Amino acid sequence: MQRTVIKRDGTEQPFQTQKIINAIFDIIQGLEVEDDYELVFLIMKELDLKVPERVTTEELDRLVLKAIEQLIPKHPVYDTLATRQLLKLINKDIDRRLDGFQSYLEHAFSQDLLDARLREFDTGLLSDALNSGRDSLLGYFGLTTLRDRYLMKNRKGEVIEKPQWFFMRVAMGIGNSNEEVVKIYNKLSKLEYLHSTPTLFNSGTVTSQYSSCYVSVVDDSLDSIMDKVRETAFLAKYAGGVGTDVTRIRATGSTIRSLNAPSSGAIPFIKIFDTLVNSIQQGGRRRSSQVISMQPWHLDIDGFLDLRETTGNGYFRTPSLNTKLWMPDEMMRRIQEGEPIYLFDPGECPELVDAVGDDFREKYERRIEQTEAGKLKQFKKRDSQDFFRKYLFKLAKTGHPWLIFKDEHNRHNPCPEYSVINSSNLCTEISIPNRPDSTAVCTLASVNLSKHVNEDNSDIDWDKLEDTLEVMVHALDNILDKNFYPSEASRKNTMDLRPLGIGLMGFAEALVDLNIAYDSEEAVILARKLGAFMRKVAYRTSGKLAEERGAFQHYREMEEQETPYDYKPRRNAVLLAIAPTASISIISGTTSSIDSYFSNLYSRDTLSGKHIVINRQLIEDLEAKGYWSDEMAGSIKAANGSVQPIKELDGVIDKNLYKTAYEIHPKRQIDIAAAFQESIDQAVSKSLYIDEQLRDNMEEIYLYAWEKKLKSTYYCFIDKVVKGEKYTSNVNKRGSRRGFGATVSADSSEVQAAPEKEENKAELEARAREKFGDEVVDQALQADADSCPTDPLLRKICPSCE
Amino acid sequence: MKNKLIGRTSVRENIKLSEDPSYPVFKELYEKQKKAVWFPEELNIQQDALDYHSLSDDEKDLFDTAVGYFCSSELLVQNVLVNSFFPLLTDPHAKMSFSTQLFMENIHSDFFEIVLQSFGMDREKMYDVAFSDPILRKKQSLIVDEIDKISYGQIDPETIEGQKQVLRAILLNNIILEGIFFYSSFAHFFALKDMAKMKNVVSGVELVLIDESLHLQNGIEAILIMLDENPEIVEDTQYVQDIRDVILEGAALEIEYVKHKFGDRTILGISYGELERYLQYITDRRLQELGFPQEFHINENPLRFLQKEDVKKLINFFEVSSTEYTNY
Repeated sequence: MQRTVIKRDGTEQPFQTQKIINAIFDIIQGLEVEDDYELVFLIMKELDLKVPERVTTEELDRLVLKAIEQLIPKHPVYDTLATRQLLKLINKDIDRRLDGFQSYLEHAFSQDLLDARLREFDTGLLSDALNSGRDSLLGYFGLTTLRDRYLMKNRKGEVIEKPQWFFMRVAMGIGNSNEEVVKIYNKLSKLEYLHSTPTLFNSGTVTSQYSSCYVSVVDDSLDSIMDKVRETAFLAKYAGGVGTDVTRIRATGSTIRSLNAPSSGAIPFIKIFDTLVNSIQQGGRRRSSQVISMQPWHLDIDGFLDLRETTGNGYFRTPSLNTKLWMPDEMMRRIQEGEPIYLFDPGECPELVDAVGDDFREKYERRIEQTEAGKLKQFKKRDSQDFFRKYLFKLAKTGHPWLIFKDEHNRHNPCPEYSVINSSNLCTEISIPNRPDSTAVCTLASVNLSKHVNEDNSDIDWDKLEDTLEVMVHALDNILDKNFYPSEASRKNTMDLRPLGIGLMGFAEALVDLNIAYDSEEAVILARKLGAFMRKVAYRTSGKLAEERGAFQHYREMEEQETPYDYKPRRNAVLLAIAPTASISIISGTTSSIDSYFSNLYSRDTLSGKHIVINRQLIEDLEAKGYWSDEMAGSIKAANGSVQPIKELDGVIDKNLYKTAYEIHPKRQIDIAAAFQESIDQAVSKSLYIDEQLRDNMEEIYLYAWEKKLKSTYYCFIDKVVKGEKYTSNVNKRGSRRGFGATVSADSSEVQAAPEKEENKAELEARAREKFGDEVVDQALQADADSCPTDPLLRKICPSCE
Repeated sequence: MKNKLIGRTSVRENIKLSEDPSYPVFKELYEKQKKAVWFPEELNIQQDALDYHSLSDDEKDLFDTAVGYFCSSELLVQNVLVNSFFPLLTDPHAKMSFSTQLFMENIHSDFFEIVLQSFGMDREKMYDVAFSDPILRKKQSLIVDEIDKISYGQIDPETIEGQKQVLRAILLNNIILEGIFFYSSFAHFFALKDMAKMKNVVSGVELVLIDESLHLQNGIEAILIMLDENPEIVEDTQYVQDIRDVILEGAALEIEYVKHKFGDRTILGISYGELERYLQYITDRRLQELGFPQEFHINENPLRFLQKEDVKKLINFFEVSSTEYTNY
């Protein structure tokens, strides 16, 4: 069987192994590898099985990529090779259409894809600043993610941006001058920090919507509910996540005066948002999403806890929404001390919604007294610990609602005169005062800490970090004035407060570089130091900006009213927020947010498909000590990505350094988040990873999060107990039982026991034919010196190799 | 004397659970299956509608056939279980384990039915595909014809002959159908997700895979226990040879099927060559699990992307349906 390659112009050609081998050597060029022949051999072996009888050149390119990609878990070098191959494909494709950066800009302008304001820059100068060498900083998963969703496509759906053009386009949508654009480009392209996904998508484009999150408040009226439905539709359309608080909506059974009829409560209204989000999520590059929050004293709270259940009445289920509890301290205290909690109707007790801290406690207690005196129409008295246990059960089962602490958010509100903070956003890192006529907006960016470690790994490079943070404050502040606001309420909030959200990713990767275990007191100390440093630099920069561009408007209004705030003027009411950085940490190829490594080997499901992620730092460490091999990779896989149970590594590496998420006690995870939270003026979004063994300790864990003054918790991951059969490693299900083997071994023991003889040429050939097919073997048999096969088995039968 | 796992039972019997079960493994498998229970509503299948319409003809055909195949086969598994060997299970924990399997097959039917509805697929064609496609029909016939022979109460479980027939029924159902045929289609689905297509449907298939691997274990355990209880079975070398042959026949039919589907081209970046090797690998595993020597001597799964199913998963929640929460 001779395989055929169909070329782009339709002509056919016999498939030539040597051509592909040469192409692979091309992408290896310049890499420091021990044995390039070995690499090529392994890739060719994967590829050989993949190539069908007839294949187009495009498909062949893709198959080469697939073949390399399959080898990634073996060694990081395959990740580099896969990245290079993919880059080659992207560039080849774009080069067919576009000459360079400037012709890309022209093409994009002509298709009305770019903001006309970008024409004001000196594109020649910017073109000179491009550095394609920085492509090599990207990893395979990162580049795939960029290619699938971030690199701009033209109206025909063809990718028209090379990675460096993409970074430059983003920078052009942010910087105010050529110099500033270049500065931002340099930071982004070196992956020293990245803006959030909506900014990367839309910066510099005709859809200049840069913000990630909106937080709105629904009032207790049909007017307000329908208004917010409309607002949500437009916020969602532009790929922002929307947070909406519904605590104000009166409870089931509450009276509607105009109709003199009882209300059907908050839950059916929430369903409207579910339907809405589900209808808008289709078609975009990322689906829109919404989180609904409710304070747990709301009389409809039981229905709220059930929203994400998958069974029951569909009208009371919201599979497309996220939910969270906006929990007051007084209720946490009652849970902790075992005092009962009371549920009320906000229609009857509206004063509870806005009240925070001691004020809430007093008002809540007053309502309890009235209840006991029989003066309230609607209420429920509940055992607080039963309630909390029920809540945590729902959290473990459905992943929702998350737990967010209302009073801790409000204790640090820099603008209490503007409004209380009514709930947080989808990812729980936002903490901005908002009200029905003022929807909070947050525009985010995260510094990549792993790119801010000294070369000798002795410490954080504080000077560089300072420089990056300064650029970020300027960039984010610029964005506020260029941003498109989908609603008047969201514009108002930004213009009044100018909030920014600077966060962090790559914390865990940096820790390994610094030789600090995540599960250690040292890590907590570094977290505290980093938070304080970020705050110091960000506030100083914002203070300077206030001198140039003025303080935020609400601050000035308070000054004009002669009731000024007691802090120095700054440009932005809040500046820091640690986001989960799901996608941008993938692009940067680092660990998410302030989380530990999830595992040393795991797969990650995203819109760009499923990717295997390996801990490169661990492999490098093992390799340096001569312990990295296919067997070791197998052992780590068998241990679900953990190195802890691998005895062979005792004393070889510092195992503590490579603990995975479920191996670090949730209390330590909370300690680290709490250390950051001390200085972060908005919130730290912290997912908790809880080992199945600790499922019974969830009450203690979540109470601890509250005691340690976290503002927010995010997803609660519980290690899944039941897993499927291992697909790629053998598991002995039979044990020592012989099954049908009882017969077989009695009959054919001679055959099995026969020692392996030296195989003669004919046997070798037969084996090779079975393994590779006739055509490969025939080729090998006829091979001359330039086209020797790379497979050792084929080499044995190849005449020139002999 | 201790009862055998398979025997004649009446409705009055086996209605007491024991703290010290005769077959603890079935209690364990019941518990595992219980923890794995899920519902199709947990997945946002509708999200994949746009994706579905952008599949190439080859991809769509592969997807449709796989869905159609599962639509009818999940119910077929139920029929086989109920009609042939379920009434002969003498142990209450084994009954619980196999009836949980029955329940899970419902969930799977329900799931594939929702998939079918979500994308406006041709219902008649889908449910017929397993019998209208000539090669798929051969696969289904292998199971159906044999089971017909041994079901309808014609088995006398008190004889060795009867035990042998039941064993063969379990083998056809839990090992060949669920352990080889299904695994072939799983690979097609996972290849889709690997190419970032039909992600939410495939999240559901990931859950189906977990379930099926437990069902496979139900079958392996039942067979190994029967061999243990009836040592005469393995003395019948012709019977043992026939069992091995039928496994290989199943594998050959499946290989014929993927050859017919993939032929001389790649779909979703995988080729016939890889799939053939993959099926040989899976078959070798099934043989070894029952105590047979390997046939093909393939020790490494050539579809390396399936490694992604073997390691811990982290999900971008707001992008793809999660399969990582347990209901219990």
